[in-house]
Amino acid sequence: MQNTVSKSQVMADHTVTVSRLEEVVSTSDEFDRVVSQALPVLLDRATGYTKRFLRETGQWNDDIEHEKFALRWGSEYLERFLVCGRSEVPCRPLFLFDSLVAKQHSKPEPFCYHPDLLRPLGRFLDGLVARAVVSRDALIALYRHSYGWGAGEVIAVTGLNGLESQRIYKNFRRWRESGWQRTMDEIGLTKTELVELASQQQRHRQRFNGEAERLIRVAQAHYRKSEPDHYPCLSRAQWREMFTQGYGCDYRIWHLALCLDCMQTAWGLGSSGSLTEEKPRLELLVRP
Amino acid sequence: MGYEEDLEAYRSQLLQSLSNPLSRSVSGVLDPIQVYINERRVGELEGAGMDATLHVQSLDHIETIQLRTEDGTLLGGLVAPEYGYRTSRVQLSSDAVELCVHNTAQGGSLNAVFVSKPSFWSRIGKTFADVADRLAIRRPDAAIAHSMRTVAFTQALLAVMVVGLVLDRVATWMGPEQMLTSGVQPEALRTVSVTDMEKLEQQVGALARMQEKVGEALQSQQNSMAQLHQTMAKLSSSHESVASRVVMVKEEMEKRQESPGPETDRTTPHPVGRGVVDQEQLEMAIRSLTEDNAKLSREVASLEERNQTLTAKLHTASVNASKAVDPNPERLLATQGDVARKNQSLQVAESRQNSQMQPFLFWVTFSEGTSQESIDQWVHEKKGHKGSINEGWQEVQIVPPAVPPDLFLEQIRGEKIVKAARIRE
Repeated sequence: MQNTVSKSQVMADHTVTVSRLEEVVSTSDEFDRVVSQALPVLLDRATGYTKRFLRETGQWNDDIEHEKFALRWGSEYLERFLVCGRSEVPCRPLFLFDSLVAKQHSKPEPFCYHPDLLRPLGRFLDGLVARAVVSRDALIALYRHSYGWGAGEVIAVTGLNGLESQRIYKNFRRWRESGWQRTMDEIGLTKTELVELASQQQRHRQRFNGEAERLIRVAQAHYRKSEPDHYPCLSRAQWREMFTQGYGCDYRIWHLALCLDCMQTAWGLGSSGSLTEEKPRLELLVRP
Repeated sequence: MGYEEDLEAYRSQLLQSLSNPLSRSVSGVLDPIQVYINERRVGELEGAGMDATLHVQSLDHIETIQLRTEDGTLLGGLVAPEYGYRTSRVQLSSDAVELCVHNTAQGGSLNAVFVSKPSFWSRIGKTFADVADRLAIRRPDAAIAHSMRTVAFTQALLAVMVVGLVLDRVATWMGPEQMLTSGVQPEALRTVSVTDMEKLEQQVGALARMQEKVGEALQSQQNSMAQLHQTMAKLSSSHESVASRVVMVKEEMEKRQESPGPETDRTTPHPVGRGVVDQEQLEMAIRSLTEDNAKLSREVASLEERNQTLTAKLHTASVNASKAVDPNPERLLATQGDVARKNQSLQVAESRQNSQMQPFLFWVTFSEGTSQESIDQWVHEKKGHKGSINEGWQEVQIVPPAVPPDLFLEQIRGEKIVKAARIRE
């Protein structure tokens, strides 16, 4: 009886919140106030839309991995809505939110979907590379997680100058302090799953790294599209020219972190002989 | 942990991070701000206290703009309109980023400006101004308010100077020996850098002289512009008077045609006299108009030359300025040769430009029966200007032709409406 009452109360609250979201808000402050009171409703709505998209495109399975995937993208859309929606006032927040999600889902490949990327190792890699697109700290950390390099080695490999080098040390520090944990929380990897990943790596190192290389290639190919249009893969001669002339710092940092093949191609160009001759292989590090 | 609990825990975690205001505000941005257009990274804005700007031109329509910190925190953003402008100010603690997006049929563009908080000194200055304003409010006279502000500022400046002088005195009295001992160490440094200092002084002197020259040149250009304006005014007034006289003459002629015989006989002497006078005035006006026109084109040519010289001087001045502030003397010496070479090439280019810009002048007579309209059209086709007319020879100024002058004249003579052409008057 009590359960029924609380359920009906929740339904009533939900209806009130939705009807408030359907009304016009006139100022950015009003937008913030109304939307912040309706975060659960909006998150569930975006998650529902994402589930429907996955179902309609034949990518849905009734399991926790797919549920988490839909939740993660629902949260991503909601974050963008919270920030960008303020510039759209006066508006009806609910309709604006629906249009924003619909716009995302009308794009080709709105997110990186692969069944293997929904398992813990795939989720870890997908989350890491997805974060690298929006965070320079995560981008620099990709060198650490992929090849086990420290800041000095990253600077040598990418052939950076003094000023850029300082930034690399900062990126490493911030990633260790908060970035890694935040990313793990966002992709929903539990402590148990992380421990399991580490033990898998210890038990079957070669197989684990081979599987990681296969999956990271899938993720990198998708997220590399978020780079500027003028950052394509280059030949060794073109990379050499860039390194010797000293231009394209951003190009080197962004592209080499997100492309295993180009890392092999450009290997040794920035180091002036300080690195070993052997080309780098993926040696995944789970912790920073 | 079961399926439902695990999922609920994840959902709660996401909601918590979304509702946490710390995730969307920063306490002072020192690292560069990453700028994203349509979820693609396009560049960054320096956030270290400078007023940095970023301009991005895109072939695609801009849909969204996002600003993120280096750790990926979404600071702010903007949804762009399908067409037209939209501006937004993203507040970041005390600093802000001003975004202006413009979408057209050809694509979109974004202007992002990082507006840093005012520095300590500018805040001090503002405080003084505020104090002065508050004092001035009691005396609403504008002149008094201005003088009060000046007095307040002068008093503050005086106080700072007095404190500085006192400190200097105290330092001199208290520790001359210390000053001596501390002065020994940088002696080597001073001797090493004396030559560099001299060079730097010379550079600064040269820069100052160059600035003076540039100032003079600017002044003379302003004077020339004023003269040009006067000439233009004269030209337009004479043009108006000619036009009005033409209208008058036409009216007179129409009246004469309309008037019947005897009346015409009576009135003929007066209009004919006026007509002759008008015609003379008209001819005079046309002559003065032609002269003014020639004068104007000469002035325009000379102004263009002056402008080029000024540009070259400014370029040299900026090179000198960059040399003067270059902290690395070795690089300064190395760049001197480059600058000299650049100046030489600049002078060569300038002289080449001057020779190219010198108008080519020739005289031409046209076949009989050629209408003024066809002559004008011909001159227009040659991209030239008509000058004065002397004994049937029309002066024409054009941009120097690509072929030698003799060959050019031959080509001109071969044209249908041209009777003869020559270079000298």
